[in-house]
Amino acid sequence: MNKADPDLPPFARSWPRLYAIVVGALVVEIILFYWLMTAFS
Amino acid sequence: MSSLDWLVLGGTLTGLILYGLIRSRRSKTMDEYLLAGQSLPWYHVCLSVMATQASAITFLSAPGQGFSDGMRFVQFYFGLPLAMVVLSVTFVPMFRKLNVFTAYEFLETRFDARIRTFTAGLFLLQRGLSTGLSIYAPSIILSTILGWNIYWTNALMGGIVLVYTVTGGTKAISYTHIQQMIIVTLAMGLAGYMTVHLLPEAVGFTDALHVAGKAGRLNLIDLKFDPNSRYNLWSGLIGGFFLQLSYFGTDQSQVGRYLTGESVGQSRLGLLMNGLLKVPMQFLILLIGVLTFVFYQYNDAPLFFNKQETERLKTSQYASEYQLIEIKHGLLNSQRQQAVAELQTALDTDNQTVVEQARTTLKTADAGLATLKTSVTDLIKKNNPAADTNDVNYVFLRFVLDFLPHGLIGLLIAVIFSASMGSIASAYNSLASTTVIDIYKRRVNATASDAHYLKASQWATIGWGVFCIVVAQFANRLGSMIEAVNILGSLFYGVILGIFLVAFYLPRIGGRATFFAAIVAEALVVVSYWLNLTAFLWLNVIGCGLVIGFALLLERLMPKPARA
Repeated sequence: MNKADPDLPPFARSWPRLYAIVVGALVVEIILFYWLMTAFS
Repeated sequence: MSSLDWLVLGGTLTGLILYGLIRSRRSKTMDEYLLAGQSLPWYHVCLSVMATQASAITFLSAPGQGFSDGMRFVQFYFGLPLAMVVLSVTFVPMFRKLNVFTAYEFLETRFDARIRTFTAGLFLLQRGLSTGLSIYAPSIILSTILGWNIYWTNALMGGIVLVYTVTGGTKAISYTHIQQMIIVTLAMGLAGYMTVHLLPEAVGFTDALHVAGKAGRLNLIDLKFDPNSRYNLWSGLIGGFFLQLSYFGTDQSQVGRYLTGESVGQSRLGLLMNGLLKVPMQFLILLIGVLTFVFYQYNDAPLFFNKQETERLKTSQYASEYQLIEIKHGLLNSQRQQAVAELQTALDTDNQTVVEQARTTLKTADAGLATLKTSVTDLIKKNNPAADTNDVNYVFLRFVLDFLPHGLIGLLIAVIFSASMGSIASAYNSLASTTVIDIYKRRVNATASDAHYLKASQWATIGWGVFCIVVAQFANRLGSMIEAVNILGSLFYGVILGIFLVAFYLPRIGGRATFFAAIVAEALVVVSYWLNLTAFLWLNVIGCGLVIGFALLLERLMPKPARA
């Protein structure tokens, strides 16, 4: 088994997973913003 | 400002500068001076790139944009997390592998010295000019608050930054960045809390969001694809991606920050954390602007937020005309406050008919205020043709000074100052490193000692400081500064990014084709902007696409140089 990169944070076991978390967070933010806009206008 | 504010302001700024200088003793080598010996952990990298990007412009203009234009500006940052991923995969490992001081050194390895110099020149021009704007931003605060001469204020602001940048180098910059980000987060959080706290007792945070939404200020997402619309989802994702990729990947003020990481992984992690934090941070800053807008729905808002200009009007030949406009403004303010009160009651009783009526009244009042504002700016222009008629940058400042408690005023002014000093310091450092590494050492004097280049870097820092201060003296005619900086960046970043993308991904294309493609592309980008053919964010995509397209074409058409 490959040893995890010591630079990685505990919540991501590989760099591709960390990249996916960053992009996923953006998608969640856009959806939340859309909800906020429609819910209060 | 009270003496408490002055104490908080002076203490915060002095503490910041001293801390940075104490934590980083005088650098003895070029590597220490320009890259902090590549010894910093990821959180230094992350906070340093954030502090470099978030200048005083961010804290002055963004709440003002939120107030006057709503939250749609947040879409501008949607491309940033995507750019951070691409940088982590491609740019960071390549720069670290080649062990470069500047991004432009890489271009000589890949192409030739000519394209390295050309790209470094574009960077120096763009960064030198935009740093002038970054000096001007906090200077207008001082001149407004204290009535100081704007020209002397610019000189003072640019000069203070020079002191610790020249002596402390990159390490001093990085350590002060961390303290700055802590102070910024604390103070902006307090400002947001106070804005809600100052609303009438019956109006809570959710009610404030309803009022903002009904007045069209929660316009966070625009799904319509329109090349001429400045901010929508697509321009943010695509145009913003190209702009941020170019800014972080090819602008030495940012490359110099993440090259200080102690390993490839630490540099990557710093950038990716920036990708996670930037959009929420920008959202919260804009939200403060929107909350300020809601606050002024319940209180009398000034028609024009730059008090200096309206005070001049009161003593001019246009005083009676201005007084008439102010009377109309007072009536509209009352109408608007009544509509907001009706809206509040209708929301509480869930009466949709009254909600719609109040929404229409609010929009009509908004349109009326816009017309009155145009009349005032026309008068200001007539009275003083050189006057700044854009008050976006004054909205938040005026609110802070008029309504926030003493002590917090000093802290928020310190935020604006320290943030500005952080980004200006990074810019000076990057301008100096590019000048010395890519121009002086490469073209003028290649065989001097490390100590000589260290001295040259310090002198280059001073020289660029003086240049930027001179630019700041002419910055008052550019409208919203945050937009001015981004427009300036968009004129150059696309072409620079195109050069780097050809270098990374099109190995068959040589330096000659890329060089001429870049010159033609830059000319066409400037013409597109001049003729107002599209919204500025798309210039990044156009510049980048033109370089790649022309380089591919020219590589086919140009005769190959004869081999020896």
